[in-house]
Amino acid sequence: MAIYIYLTSAPEALVASMLPPEGFGMYLSTGTKKLNKGQSIFFEVDLGKIEYLIDLEGLNKRCVAKEDGSPKSSVYLSVYKVLEILPLDSLKSLYLTTDNGHILELKKSTYDKSKEVFDALWLYQELCPVTPMVASGLPPSVFLKRLTDGSTPIVLPKLFFVDLKLGELATDPLRGSAEDLPYTNLGHLRDCLEILRGEYEKHMKTVQRIFSGLLLYRTIKSGFYVGAKDEMIFYRYPTMKELEDLNYEFFRAI
Amino acid sequence: MISSIFWIVPLSALLALLFAWIFYRNMKALDEGTDRMKEIALYVREGAMAYIKRQYTVVGKVFAILVVILTILAYLGVQNPFVPIAFLTGGFFSGLCGYLGMKTATFASNRTAWAASKSLNKGLQVALRSGAVMGLVVVGFGLIDIAIWFFILNNWIFTPEHMQNGLHFMGLTFVHTGTTDHQKLIEITAIMLTFGMGASTQALFARVGGGIFTKAADVGADLVGKVEAGIPEDDPRNPATIADNVGDNVGDVAGMGADLYESYAGSILATAALGAALPAIAGDLQMKAVIAPMIVSAIGILLSIAGVYMVRTKESATPKNLLNALLLGTGGSSALILVAIAVLASTGWITWGVFGSVVAGLTAGVIIGQSTEYFTSDGYKPTQGIAKQAQQGPATVIIEGMAVGMLSTWVPVLTIVAGIVAAFGFAGGFSNFAMGVYGIGFAAVGMLSTLGITLATDAFGPIADNAGGNAEMAELPKEVRERTDALDGLGNTTAATGKGFAIGSAALTALALMAAYMEEVRLWLGRLADQAPEKFKQIGDYLFYSSSVPAVQDGQTAVHLTSATIRDFAAAYDLSLFNPVLLGGIFIGAMMAFLFSSMSMKAVGRAAGKMVDEVRRQFREIPGIMEGTGKPEYAKCVEISTRGAQKEMMVPSLLAIAVPMVVGIVFGVPGVIGLLAGGMTTGFTLACMLNNSGGAWDNAKKYIERGNLGGKKSEAHKASVVGDTVGDPFKDTSGPSLNILIKLMSMVSVVMAGITVAVHLF
Repeated sequence: MAIYIYLTSAPEALVASMLPPEGFGMYLSTGTKKLNKGQSIFFEVDLGKIEYLIDLEGLNKRCVAKEDGSPKSSVYLSVYKVLEILPLDSLKSLYLTTDNGHILELKKSTYDKSKEVFDALWLYQELCPVTPMVASGLPPSVFLKRLTDGSTPIVLPKLFFVDLKLGELATDPLRGSAEDLPYTNLGHLRDCLEILRGEYEKHMKTVQRIFSGLLLYRTIKSGFYVGAKDEMIFYRYPTMKELEDLNYEFFRAI
Repeated sequence: MISSIFWIVPLSALLALLFAWIFYRNMKALDEGTDRMKEIALYVREGAMAYIKRQYTVVGKVFAILVVILTILAYLGVQNPFVPIAFLTGGFFSGLCGYLGMKTATFASNRTAWAASKSLNKGLQVALRSGAVMGLVVVGFGLIDIAIWFFILNNWIFTPEHMQNGLHFMGLTFVHTGTTDHQKLIEITAIMLTFGMGASTQALFARVGGGIFTKAADVGADLVGKVEAGIPEDDPRNPATIADNVGDNVGDVAGMGADLYESYAGSILATAALGAALPAIAGDLQMKAVIAPMIVSAIGILLSIAGVYMVRTKESATPKNLLNALLLGTGGSSALILVAIAVLASTGWITWGVFGSVVAGLTAGVIIGQSTEYFTSDGYKPTQGIAKQAQQGPATVIIEGMAVGMLSTWVPVLTIVAGIVAAFGFAGGFSNFAMGVYGIGFAAVGMLSTLGITLATDAFGPIADNAGGNAEMAELPKEVRERTDALDGLGNTTAATGKGFAIGSAALTALALMAAYMEEVRLWLGRLADQAPEKFKQIGDYLFYSSSVPAVQDGQTAVHLTSATIRDFAAAYDLSLFNPVLLGGIFIGAMMAFLFSSMSMKAVGRAAGKMVDEVRRQFREIPGIMEGTGKPEYAKCVEISTRGAQKEMMVPSLLAIAVPMVVGIVFGVPGVIGLLAGGMTTGFTLACMLNNSGGAWDNAKKYIERGNLGGKKSEAHKASVVGDTVGDPFKDTSGPSLNILIKLMSMVSVVMAGITVAVHLF
C-alpha cells in the first residue's frame, strides 16, 4: 500500500497515512470505532520534495498495515511549526471535509494580483500557524505580504488563510445588510470594519482572537491562500452553483 | 321504502374500492428500482407491518374489553344491543383503511423514487395515485359500511312485523314493540351513529400511537444522528433512520387515514341522525333527509376519482406546476361537488338553504387551509419572523413560535364561527333550530365529500418524504434527489392545508355530534318514559312522555318527546352558563385538551429518550458504523419506537374514553354538554396553535437551511433546530390527536347517552 503525507491545519501536523485523501478525510472527520465528528482541512504533501526533512526509515517501519490487513490510518511525524519548514512547492491539493466525512478537493489555481480590489473591506480567517479572524482593508496578496515580510512588529514565517464573505458590509459596514451572515457578534464586526474604513493608516483589525474550529464553507468568498511574502499559492473555492454540480454530497452537507 | 337513488351510495363506494385496487395494482407493477432501494423499502415495510401488527393486537384487546362493557350495558337496558357490533365494525373498517393505506405507502416509496429518476411528473403520478389508494379506501369502506348497515337495519331488522311486535333475541330488545314509521329512521340513524365510536377509538389509538412512534424515532434520529454524529437526514449510517421512515407511514398515513375515516363517517352519520329527527317531516321527506348526506358523499367519491385523473402535468414540470396540478385536482373536485349539490337542490332532494350550508362548509375548509399555509410557510412573514428571531437564540425562537401559533388561531376560529353561523342560517336555523343544526352537519359533509382526493394529496406527502429518504439512502444521482426533494416540498404544503382541513371538519363534525347527542337523549328519555310505571320521565319541571299525557302540577310542563325541541331540553336540563354543573363540565372539557396534549408530549419525550440511548449505543458499539462498513441494527430502533408507542398511548387514549363516561354518570346531561363544549372549543383552538407553531418552527429551520440568515450550522440554525425539535410533538403528536379527542368524547357521550340519562349523581 502506498504511503501518503498530509499537512493538517488543526492541529498543525505532518501525518503519514496509508489512506488516500478521501479515506484520510473521512477518518479525520468521523473516526473509526469511536463516535467522532468534526470538519478538517489538510493538504496532500509531495513526499519526494520533503524526503530530506523526514526519517524515511522510521516512517517505513511505523506506517505499516495492521494485523488484519487494513491500512494504517495515521502516523504523526511532526507537530508545531510544520508549515513554516515545508517548501511551498511540496503542497499538492487542498482537501476540505465536512463533519460527516464528505470531502472536497481544491486544486491549485492561478491568481491574478493585478485584479485585486483596494476600495473594499475584507474578512480573513487565518488557519495556520495562528488562527485569529481579521478584518482588513488589504486584498489577499498584500495582506499576506504585510504579515510575512517583516514590515510590521508581528511577523509570521508563512500563513495559511481564507477570505470570507462580507456581503454589503464590505462597502457599507454600518448600514449594509448583514442578515444572511452567520458570524457571531455582528455588531463588533461592523465596528471593526468601520474603524478600518475611517483610519487610513490602520489596515488590520482583529475580529476574533481564537478560531472556533468550525469554518462555515458557505461563507468562503474566493478561496484559500498559503505562502509568504511574494510567494503565494491560491486554491480557488467554487461558487455554490459550481459546487452543486461538482460535488453534490459536499454541497448538501454544508 | 328506500329510494332507488340510494343505490348510488353502495355503487360509488364499490367504485372507490375498485379504483383503489386498480391504482394499487398499477403501482405494484412498476419497477422497484435498484437492489439497494428494494432493501431499504423492505426494511421500512417490515418495520411498519411489525408496528401495525403490535398496534392492532393491543387495540384488539381494548376493543374486546369495551365490547364486553357495552354488552353488559345493553343487558342492563341502558345501551342499544346493536352498539357492540356497530362499534366493532367501525373499528374494524377504520383499522383496515389504515392498514391498506400504509401497506400501499410502503410499497410506493421506492417506486416513486425510481419513477422520479425518469421525470418529476412520473414521480408525482406514482405518489399521488398511491396516496389516492388511501383516500379511496377511506371513503369506499366508510360509505359501504354505512350503506350496508342502513340497508340491513331498514330492510331486515326494522320490518313492519318487527316494528309492530318487537324483535327480541337472547333477552335483548332489538326493535321495540309499537315502533312507528317516524321513529324507525330515528332509531336506525341513532344505531348507525354509534359505529362512529369504534372508528373514533381506533383512530385515537392510531393517531396517538403513530404520533408517539414517529416523533420518538424522529427526535432520536435527529438528536444523535444529526446533532451529535453530524450525519445528514436519512443517512443510512443512522440506526434510527429506518424507524423515522416507518414513523412517517404509521403516523402520517395510517393515523391520518383513521382520523379522517372517522370524521367522514361521523359527519355523514350525525347529519343523517339530525335529518331523521327533523320535526314536522315524515315519510319520503324524512327518508330524503336521512340519505341526502350519503348521496352527496357518493357523488363526492365519483368527483374525487375524476379529480385524481385531472392531476397531470408536463414532463418538464417545475414545482410550481406540480402545485397547480394538485390544486386543479382538489379545487376542480370541490367546484364540481357544488354543481352536483345544486342539481340535488334543484330537484328538491335538499333545500337551497342546505346548499348554502355546504358552500359555507367548503369555503371555511379552504380558508382554514390557506391560513394554515400562510402561518406555516416560509414564504410568508410569520415563519420568516421566527427565523429572524433565531439570530437572537433558541429562547426567542420558542417565544416567537408560540406567539405565531397563538396568533394563527384567530383565522380558523373566526372562520369556523362564520361557517357555523352561515351554515345554520342558510339552512333556516334562525326560524327552525333543528334545520339549522342539520345545515351545520351538511357543512361538514360538504367539506369532506371530496375526501377521496384531499386525502390522496395528504398521503402524497409522507410517500414523497419516504421516496426522498429512499433516494438519499440508496445514494441515487443528484437529479433524482432534487426531484424527490421537490415532491417532498410539495407534500409539506399539501400536508399543512390537509391538517387545517382535518381540524376544521373535526370542529363541524363535533358540533353536529353534539346536536346528535341531544337526539340520543331524546331517544333514551322516550325509552325510559315507556319503561316507567307513570309513563313519563321528569327532568326538572318538565315531564317528557311518548304515549299518554301525564297530569301536571303548578309550574310543571308536559312535553311530548316527538315534538320536544332542543330548547325544551335546554330548559329542562338547565343548559345555561349559570348551572354550575354545566360550567364545571366546560372546565373539565378545556382541561382535557391540555391534559391530553401534555400526556402525549411527555410520552414522546420518554420514548425518544430510549431511542437516543439505543442510537448512542449502536454508534458506540458497532465497529465501522460511521465509515459505512458496519451495518446499523435498524430493527432494534423500530422495536423501541413500537414498544414505546404501545405503552405510552394507553393512558391518554383510555382517558379520552373514560372521562365522558365518568362526567356523564356524575354530572349528567348538563355536565356532558359542558364537557363537549369546553373540549371542542379549547381542543380546536389548541390544536390550531400546536399544529401551526410546530409547522412554522419546522419551516423556519428549513428557511435557514436554504442559506438565509447564516444558513446551516450557524448560531441561528442551531436555535432553529431547538424550535423544530420542540415543535415536533406539537404538530405531529398532540395537535393532530386533538382532532380525534374532541370527536371521540362526543362519540362516547352519544353511545353512553342511555346510561347518562338513566343514572347520574347531580
